[in-house]
Amino acid sequence: MILNTLLLVASPLLAPAPAMPDLLAIKVDRAETVSDGTIRNAVILVENGKIAVIGEDLAIERGIPVIDMGPNSVAMPGLVNAYSRIGMDSRGGNDSQPGNSALAELYPAHEDYDEVLETGVTTLGLYPPGNGIPGRAVAIKPRGSSAEDMLLSDDAYLKITLRSDSSSKKMIRNGFEEADKYIEDDKKARDKWEKAVEKAKKDKKKKKDDKEGDDKKDDPDVGPYEPPTPNPDAKAFQDLRNGELRALMCIDSAGDYLHLLDALGEEKISWDLRVTVTRRLNLFYVKKELGELGCRVVMEPILTNHPNTRRLRNLPAEVSEAGAKLVLIPRSDRLSDQRDWLHNTGEMIGAGLSRETALRAMTLEPAEMLGVEGRVGSLTAGKDANILFFQGNPFEPDTKVQAVMLEGEIVFGELN
Amino acid sequence: MKQIQNCKSLAIGLTALFALTLPVQASASFEDDKDKDKKEDEVEPVAEKDKDQYFLVHNADIYTGTGTVLRSASLLSKNGKIVKIGYDIEAPGRDYFKGIPEAEREFRLRSLDAQGMRVYPGIVAINSSGLPGTNGDFRDSVDPFSENMVLGLSTGITTTGVGRSAVKLKRYVSYEEPLPYDFDGIVLSDKTYASLSWTTSSSRRDAREKMSAARDYLNAYRTWQEEVKKDKELAEPEKKGVDSTYLEVLTGETYARFRAADRASLLGIARFAQEFGFRPIIIGCREGWIVADELGRAGAMAIVTARERRDKDERLSAEGGSSIENAAILTKAGVQVAIIPGSNGVDLGGIAGQDIMHLPVEVGFAIRGGLSEELAMASISTVPARMMGISDRVGTLEVGKDCDLIVTDGDLLHYQTFVQYTVVDGQLVYDKEEELYFAHIRPRPEKEIAPEEALDAGENPPETKKVEEEEEEDEEGDDEDKPKDKEEGDDDK
Repeated sequence: MILNTLLLVASPLLAPAPAMPDLLAIKVDRAETVSDGTIRNAVILVENGKIAVIGEDLAIERGIPVIDMGPNSVAMPGLVNAYSRIGMDSRGGNDSQPGNSALAELYPAHEDYDEVLETGVTTLGLYPPGNGIPGRAVAIKPRGSSAEDMLLSDDAYLKITLRSDSSSKKMIRNGFEEADKYIEDDKKARDKWEKAVEKAKKDKKKKKDDKEGDDKKDDPDVGPYEPPTPNPDAKAFQDLRNGELRALMCIDSAGDYLHLLDALGEEKISWDLRVTVTRRLNLFYVKKELGELGCRVVMEPILTNHPNTRRLRNLPAEVSEAGAKLVLIPRSDRLSDQRDWLHNTGEMIGAGLSRETALRAMTLEPAEMLGVEGRVGSLTAGKDANILFFQGNPFEPDTKVQAVMLEGEIVFGELN
Repeated sequence: MKQIQNCKSLAIGLTALFALTLPVQASASFEDDKDKDKKEDEVEPVAEKDKDQYFLVHNADIYTGTGTVLRSASLLSKNGKIVKIGYDIEAPGRDYFKGIPEAEREFRLRSLDAQGMRVYPGIVAINSSGLPGTNGDFRDSVDPFSENMVLGLSTGITTTGVGRSAVKLKRYVSYEEPLPYDFDGIVLSDKTYASLSWTTSSSRRDAREKMSAARDYLNAYRTWQEEVKKDKELAEPEKKGVDSTYLEVLTGETYARFRAADRASLLGIARFAQEFGFRPIIIGCREGWIVADELGRAGAMAIVTARERRDKDERLSAEGGSSIENAAILTKAGVQVAIIPGSNGVDLGGIAGQDIMHLPVEVGFAIRGGLSEELAMASISTVPARMMGISDRVGTLEVGKDCDLIVTDGDLLHYQTFVQYTVVDGQLVYDKEEELYFAHIRPRPEKEIAPEEALDAGENPPETKKVEEEEEEDEEGDDEDKPKDKEEGDDDK
């Protein structure tokens, strides 16, 4: 009762004010946390753009403004589109430029980002243009006055495209060779430097022994070690090897997967897989292998046909059932596909994909792939308050996004 | 196919002899293995054999392709090579795989009961397109899951010439434990022939000039080789301007291949080859039946299409045009003949019935033209293998060769026959029941392939068997009884 009256008092105060209060409690019927399952009658306490607490029927301290979203309300984490080029329009070739970064192309004032936010996508993984090895992807939030402001991570993954031909295999091997070469150069330079230092020491000693008077002259000081000119291309592959960077391998078929293994050979790096879902995709041939590997597989929510038949296959479901980690992305970068993303995924759920997997595949899994799971991807205390609000099941075609909260700010729609 | 009994070939005699001696060797060798395992018990190191992979086909009529037919015989391959053909062959038993996890045994040993079926060597298609995936650098562009590859295997083709390469149709086989795909095993040879042109007068002149240059160089080089022993200072003859392709043809490293159809060209090629002493392969060879004797004398080989139909050139008074008897007449004159269909790709919409999937049917037409069944089989196995210089590995079922075989439910050249299984390098790569293309047509009554561990009923032996086996309990893993176990178990149901 007290809460209700508080709410009544609070809401007229809130309504005209565009800025959200620093501290706010939101009550929803269901909260899809993704990290800890569904919470009924959940209370989400948002403080300074972060989720302070989330739990079932939490007692709310007097004085904290409370918004009750109603009996049918659902809250879920903001969507994470990990593989996109929204707001970027340059083109790339098929060559190898692992030193590149999508950051160079990020234009904060692009109007696409505002529109994307309205669809519920609160985190984007943006990759540089081109096939081959175009460079590092970045993770951003689609709002900010500068690139630095938007940036969540500048080394989300390294995009590598592999096609079934010798040249793209060679490209990958060359990348590692370049890294080897850099390490070798570095070692040589260091050896040289160490020798120079030793020599300088000896000279110094000699001079001291010879005569103390001559000591006034400057010693041929060697100075600190200077590594050879840093090579960003080599650095990317070094990072892959160190485990500081993950690769996103883009392939088109099951055969490409085997060629990828062949190209990697003995190299032990961690990588995820991006498979373009086309009508005749035959990825099911290697789903067991993918499951055993446990890598992430980035796919669009599209039902496909078994090759040469009209038998429908739900490849995302098959792949995730086999044990691989599913990451779903919208069917394309078009705004309409961002908007239909949840409903397209709903179709996949109708065709056998588990709802839990689907939820995770649009939020936490891509966040982990981008390396930003500490900030986004689930409704967890301590993470950014990127929350979507719905009236009803988000995957139902007639459910629309009611409001989008980005870091505690309502950026689209309005709360009750 | 009627049994071939009246053969004179030496090879047949040898194989028969071989087959007779095999059973003894076979049983003996595995007895040894068992004893050894028992003595050393579980301490037996598996490192040596932990990569060994066996494949056993038993109860089959084996058409070896060398002229012999072994009724209800077995064939065992180890790591993709045939190690035994004959009778009473047993695959290594359970003891052999001691220390290897259960899950891996499926991959270590597969056995196939081919009761009532025939085993043939895998078909070698001398020319095809699109079967191993995209053309070009096959090692790096093969698609091991391509539909065309499956359709090729369903035809029984295990090796094919594509461009100048001889390529195996290897699919990726998934076991409990994923294995890397054998990219290096795909290309058998990437220089199967040298293509020479005999179409225009200038190309003929060109071929002749280059061939004489190569011959002159070769003669000079051989003379020098002799003389340099006496005089070490002697300079090697100049190789400049000599086409290395022609050298390879003259030294026999590769065969020269011509495309020719009419009588005059064929005669020209025959004379050209005789003059320079090399064996030509002629693709097309439409009017070969007219000049068969000349081609035979020149040691020519031919790649023909049995159903080719072309009327004679009416302007000429001499005989001409195509003949269904072409292959038969050519082989009688001593010309080795390989057969290809009218279209060398998989063609499901266009000229169905004349594409690469109907290679055995095409051969059937050559038989209708009088070709003997034995030579007809050779035209899609041994002859093309020889033409591509890979007959040491494929073309027949012999110990030491690659285990590329097909299991059919009847005569391979009968139009109703289906290839039930295809094995490439000792791995089952096609099972009619498992692929969607032909599984629905005359399905097999029951699944006959099972991993040896399923046959080896260690956990739940049928009741009846238990009583019989009580005496032999010490001898665990006595795999001779295992297939019976399975059968009896099925009967119970």
